Amino acid sequence: MTRLLEKKLSRRRFIGVSSCALAGVAVGSQVKVLRALAQEGKVGAVTTLPTKDVFTSCGMCVNKCGVIARVRDGVIHKLDPNPNFAVKSRAMLCARGNAGTKVVYDPDRLKYPLIRVGERGEGKWRRASWDEALDLVGKNLNQIAEKYTRAGVVFASTEGTFQDHFFNQMAECYGSPNTLRHATLCLSSNIQGFSATFGTNPTPDVLNADYIIMSGANRSEAFITPDTIDLLKGDGGMRKLIYLDPRFTKTAAKADEWYPIKPGTDMAFILAMINVIVTEKRYNKDFVEKMTVGFDKLVPHIATYTPEWAAKECEIPAADIRRIARDFADAAPHAVYYQGRRSSFFANDTQMRRAMAILNAIIGNWDVEGGMIPNRSIAMTKHDYLAPYYDDIPGRLDADSVAYLSESDGSWSIFRDRVLEGKPYPVKGMMIYKQNCVASVPNRAKTLKMMAQMDFICTIDVTMSDTAWYSDVVLPEATYLERLDPPEVLGGIVPVVAWRQPAVEALFESKPCLWIMQQLAKRLGPDIADTFNFTMEEAIEHQCSNNPKILADLKSKGVYYEADKPVYGSSYGKPLKTKSGKIEIYSERYAEKGLDPLPVYSSPNVVPTGKYRLLVGRHAYFTHGTTTNNPYLHDIMPENTLWLHPQEAARLGLDDGRLVRVKSAVGEETLKLEVTEKIRPDSVYMAHGFGVLSKGQSNVYGVGGCDAALIEEKTCMISGNVAMHETLVEIFPA
Amino acid sequence: MHPIFQHRPSRKLWFGLLSAGVVIGIIGALNVLINGHAHVYNVTREIPWGILIATYVFLVVSSTGLCLVSSLGHVFGIEKFEFIGKRAIILAIITLLCGFGTIGMEINHPIRLGIYAIISPNFSSAIWWMGTLYGLYLVLLSGELYFLMKGMHKGAFALGMAGFIAAISAHSNLGAVFGLLEARPFWYGSFLPIYFILSALVSGGAIVSMIVYFNHKESGTPMPQKYEDFMGTLGKLQALFLTILIFFVIWKIIPAVYGHPPEKFEATMATLTGPLAFNFWFFEVLLGMLIPVVILLNPRTRTPGGVMWAGLLSTFGIFFMRFDLVVAGQLVSMREGAADLTNGLLSYVPSITELAIVIGAISLCLFLYTLAEHLLPLDVEEDH
Amino acid sequence: MKNKRYAIVLDTKRCIDCKACTVACKAENDVPVGRDNYRNWVDEEKLRGTYPNLGQSFTPSQCQHCANPPCAHVCPTKATVVSPDGIVHVIADKCIGCKYCQTACPYNARYYNEVIAAVDKCTFCSHRVYAGGMPACVETCPTKVRVFGDINDPNSEVSRLLAKNPSRVLKVAQGTKPHLFYLT
Ligand SMILES: Nc1nc2c(c(=O)[nH]1)N[C@H]1C(S)=C(S)[C@@H](COP(=O)(O)OP(=O)(O)OC[C@H]3O[C@@H](n4cnc5c(=O)[nH]c(N)nc54)[C@H](O)[C@@H]3O)O[C@H]1N2
Ligand SMILES: Nc1nc2c(c(=O)[nH]1)N[C@H]1C(S)=C(S)[C@@H](COP(=O)(O)OP(=O)(O)OC[C@H]3O[C@@H](n4cnc5c(=O)[nH]c(N)nc54)[C@H](O)[C@@H]3O)O[C@H]1N2
Ligand code: SF4
Ligand code: SF4
Ligand code: SF4
Ligand code: SF4
Ligand code: SF4
Ligand SMILES: [Mo]
Repeated sequence: MTRLLEKKLSRRRFIGVSSCALAGVAVGSQVKVLRALAQEGKVGAVTTLPTKDVFTSCGMCVNKCGVIARVRDGVIHKLDPNPNFAVKSRAMLCARGNAGTKVVYDPDRLKYPLIRVGERGEGKWRRASWDEALDLVGKNLNQIAEKYTRAGVVFASTEGTFQDHFFNQMAECYGSPNTLRHATLCLSSNIQGFSATFGTNPTPDVLNADYIIMSGANRSEAFITPDTIDLLKGDGGMRKLIYLDPRFTKTAAKADEWYPIKPGTDMAFILAMINVIVTEKRYNKDFVEKMTVGFDKLVPHIATYTPEWAAKECEIPAADIRRIARDFADAAPHAVYYQGRRSSFFANDTQMRRAMAILNAIIGNWDVEGGMIPNRSIAMTKHDYLAPYYDDIPGRLDADSVAYLSESDGSWSIFRDRVLEGKPYPVKGMMIYKQNCVASVPNRAKTLKMMAQMDFICTIDVTMSDTAWYSDVVLPEATYLERLDPPEVLGGIVPVVAWRQPAVEALFESKPCLWIMQQLAKRLGPDIADTFNFTMEEAIEHQCSNNPKILADLKSKGVYYEADKPVYGSSYGKPLKTKSGKIEIYSERYAEKGLDPLPVYSSPNVVPTGKYRLLVGRHAYFTHGTTTNNPYLHDIMPENTLWLHPQEAARLGLDDGRLVRVKSAVGEETLKLEVTEKIRPDSVYMAHGFGVLSKGQSNVYGVGGCDAALIEEKTCMISGNVAMHETLVEIFPA
Repeated sequence: MHPIFQHRPSRKLWFGLLSAGVVIGIIGALNVLINGHAHVYNVTREIPWGILIATYVFLVVSSTGLCLVSSLGHVFGIEKFEFIGKRAIILAIITLLCGFGTIGMEINHPIRLGIYAIISPNFSSAIWWMGTLYGLYLVLLSGELYFLMKGMHKGAFALGMAGFIAAISAHSNLGAVFGLLEARPFWYGSFLPIYFILSALVSGGAIVSMIVYFNHKESGTPMPQKYEDFMGTLGKLQALFLTILIFFVIWKIIPAVYGHPPEKFEATMATLTGPLAFNFWFFEVLLGMLIPVVILLNPRTRTPGGVMWAGLLSTFGIFFMRFDLVVAGQLVSMREGAADLTNGLLSYVPSITELAIVIGAISLCLFLYTLAEHLLPLDVEEDH
Repeated sequence: MKNKRYAIVLDTKRCIDCKACTVACKAENDVPVGRDNYRNWVDEEKLRGTYPNLGQSFTPSQCQHCANPPCAHVCPTKATVVSPDGIVHVIADKCIGCKYCQTACPYNARYYNEVIAAVDKCTFCSHRVYAGGMPACVETCPTKVRVFGDINDPNSEVSRLLAKNPSRVLKVAQGTKPHLFYLT
């Protein structure tokens, strides 16, 4: 039956008609599109179009792997890994990277500016000219500025395009302090926890570590280069990988030992490890003495956190904790307790990351081979501009909400609450760039409610995301393979500079972010327009002006780097960016703010029988909530399922493959059940990116369930990061 | 209206039904031509051969069977069988052509087949031999029919002899199309070529019994003694064929379950207890073999009507034998980790279009035969 | 490509089931989208053990470029041919779409490609290899599970790997003499 259905779907794709109201907007195969454009004289005839290889970088996720776009007769035929990029990406492209051509040639991609004609979310659109669409955006931004204040427009965006700087420049020049970035849906508690300890968020030297404990990071599926690749090095007993995850992931399949830790109890495990290492005097005394402050306070603090105590919390046997702690300390300094990237786990996440940092610190793995290495960068000239000054603008809407709020990132969930309260002031406009907040911020219903009270929403995207679907104006950005993007430093143990050059001219009427911002700026007044008075080429020249080799290398090799191997120890002899200049085991700053200066354990909320903890996690085939619609990736996994342990499935009398309703305090979703031993009996899991609202995602619309609709938005009150694993759900037959 | 269409109301109904069937088939075929195989067929990369191949096999087995049974008369000189010659041969030609039509709908490029089978033949391919031998067989059958119609018995004998040999070769080779696939243990080996010949005899006998019976039913006159005798003899022969067939089936199963030979066991169990079990026990065993054998072995039920009924039921059963044979051989995945397995097996259910083409092919067969029956002088008596 | 014998050696212990190879192949070889359409695949082997003692392996595969290929034996029109370097090819124009090769291949390596109107399968990316490149799936693989090369060259990486490590081929009993070697 599913096969029949799939056939029908593939048939529909074959004809190339997306069923929804977008049908008025012509779609078709790339060659047809090119022919049509050739006839209109917009591009050369198909046979005269260029065949060339273009260095650029992947835009499908955070890693920005080096790409060679193979262009044949004007069509991007294939994306190959750039071997020169081996220092960072190890010369690979993942499934998503390889699926990039389908971003350009996806019948579902955005082609023209669209203006909503029906109700919000109803999906009725009208194709508009750029002038008309931009006039409308400009008019609304001016109106909101006048009616409320310039802080009445929030600018939401996520990294990735290398042009998000121009969008943020627009926010600043327009005059709104309210920018929302993805950090508080992602890694801000990590940054906070590690920075409070080391003054920076270091990177584990995976390639050279002999002993890695990875908890809450699924590197074989959640790609971070080069860690994902380097993690596999251990074959043959040279390297030990201990993996803690409530789910048996692909990383678990590769690990030497997997422990299905009880969610939210990582800190207990870590504190117990510290307990063993400290009480058995296995820590690096020299290092602790010279490089850290507050160890003396740690000793009594961890006295009660014994492995026996922790075993009850995290359900990992005390003997194993003890053994792992000893082995870890023995392997030091070539040992790391690997922090994940996405740290939006529990409300106490910052303190949990602090515990991780402290554990790493006491074995003395700081800035040595196989340890925790502070990130390095490459010097480039900053793109600068003089933002107009407005004197009547209030501070951030979410100001003072959490202990350490990032001025540029804000805190998504708290911001949303304040918009809904209308306090301390109203926010009535949204500009959204390369962010799909409807799918990526927990509690979808609440996000939609917040959007419903906006006077105006404009989304700049490449596809009809759920967020675009609920907007008033949707502007098509040229995709990453069609743009010239400014160089960007990808920091890390071995930093590189990446950039993008267009493999093909932008199709349809899509335009790069800079162009859109420039056109919009003209409609917002000369002061703002002036700050955008430069070309992309000029911006790039300027950025590389301190070091012409950067641009030369980018052009000839697609990448620039200064060292191809890690440089260790450069942080020694200089004060760290902490208050004491040393590694802060005990945080004076936290104490001053009334926060626990040493991580204090608290148990996660109890999961009563009949309820399950909903877990969030990556899939190697998708980036977040949007690439599930990519035809190549959709082929690999057309639908998501709810993972449930067989014991619980039997208890509920639910069979594998049947439809179930999953209900949380904030939403209910229906999807297929997957009965599997790959998950703890008290938890369930579903992949992100299904159950979409947008009919413009024709492959996945109406398929599977949406996790964001179920997750409650608890928040870490130190970093402002959301806590995505605090949600309990019930399961019913559908 | 042509007189044959207005003879009797039941005949009108008969032609009406068959025409409807043919129209269904045409719609199915058009659907394939317009939308392409992949979109209207349920065959997959794992189970590339579906009900169309099974129907093809069914039809060409019928053809071979008819040829073999009729050759008992004009080749082997068993007089009782002589009078069915023309009818059997003409139906053999029709079933063969409809069989070709059916496989033509399954093969993506029948025209390329015509070209490259000649300019780029692969002598190690059983399908190449299948095309060649069946082509030859068709030529011989047509010649034989020609001589029979002209009453040229010598020619008919010579071509009949040749046709008999072609039929046996083509048909055992059809068994080899499956039997040479080492990858498919359920099919692999010398069993299928031999089994195919035996089952052709069963098919042929069953169809002949129906031809003779209905032909007389239709003429409305009581059946002459000669025909009654023939039906009796045919019935006994059928009983023999069926009994042997039952042994073939049993001995196909026993080694396949005895030591659990890999893949063969799973495929066999799919027919015994798995997704094909109902087909197997109800259609193949009960309708196709047991009931007919019981009818035919009992002298009291071995009346012309009984023999006809036995034939009808066997023919039904045999269709399912073909389907199950074709499908079961592919149910076991070639890959352990393949997706979409239920209880470790792949699955195949024919699509509506596939079914439509099957209905069309069989209807066309019957339609053409009924037409021939009315338009051509097929009664042996007239020759004398 | 005389005197060459191409093969792929796979170290499946390194495979993380990321399916980069599958997508790379689809893009490189214009494999149409759709459930049945792929030249290579990665099987998730059955979960071993019971919770919490679990294990799982991932096995990438594709056409084995058999030295004794049943697909070629059964093909009625010689649409399936073997190059001197061992690469088994389908000549699309000659393929009648009988799918005999699909039933004959013990590895399920073939599918019917509606766009080229012929049966299709892995070609070892011969167009890339003959131009001095690597197969797309080999080049893109993040963890370098796959190594491609000439086993007639004793100094090639594939020869070296096969010399140093024990290896196996799939379904050896079929007598197909596959040229995808799995390190054990
Ligand atoms: N339920 C759940 N929620 C999560 C997560 C989770 O795992 N589960 N993960 C969290 C994490 S760690 C993060 S980082 C966030 C990420 O969440 P977001 O920051 O919202 O990122 P994406 O979901 O990738 O959405 C990016 C949007 O940008 C669009 N886009 C892609 N390329 C371009 C381009 O070139 N130009 C423009 N203008 N638009 C483009 C995409 O179509 C998509 O709509 O989600 C967080 N939220
Ligand atoms: N393929 C792919 N790669 C990506 C991304 C993508 O979308 N797709 N996104 C990128 C981005 S923006 C980010 S932030 C990173 C994220 O990369 P990671 O930090 O590795 O994040 P997740 O995949 O969310 O992995 C979290 C894992 O923690 C487990 N887990 C849940 N609760 C607990 C707990 O209480 N304790 C422990 N120990 N484990 C728990 C989950 O089951 C899950 O497997 O990935 C990046 N790489
Ligand atoms: S990890 Fe994959 S999606 Fe991310 S940048 Fe690299 S190739 Fe692209
Ligand atoms: S690309 Fe490599 S690691 Fe990924 S699935 Fe394929 S073989 Fe395995
Ligand atoms: S794997 Fe299959 S398709 Fe490839 S050569 Fe062997 S038999 Fe032929
Ligand atoms: S489908 Fe094509 S390649 Fe396969 S056997 Fe038939 S003609 Fe040969
Ligand atoms: S070698 Fe080329 S054709 Fe074969 S599986 Fe790999 S990418 Fe596909
Ligand atoms: Mo993230």
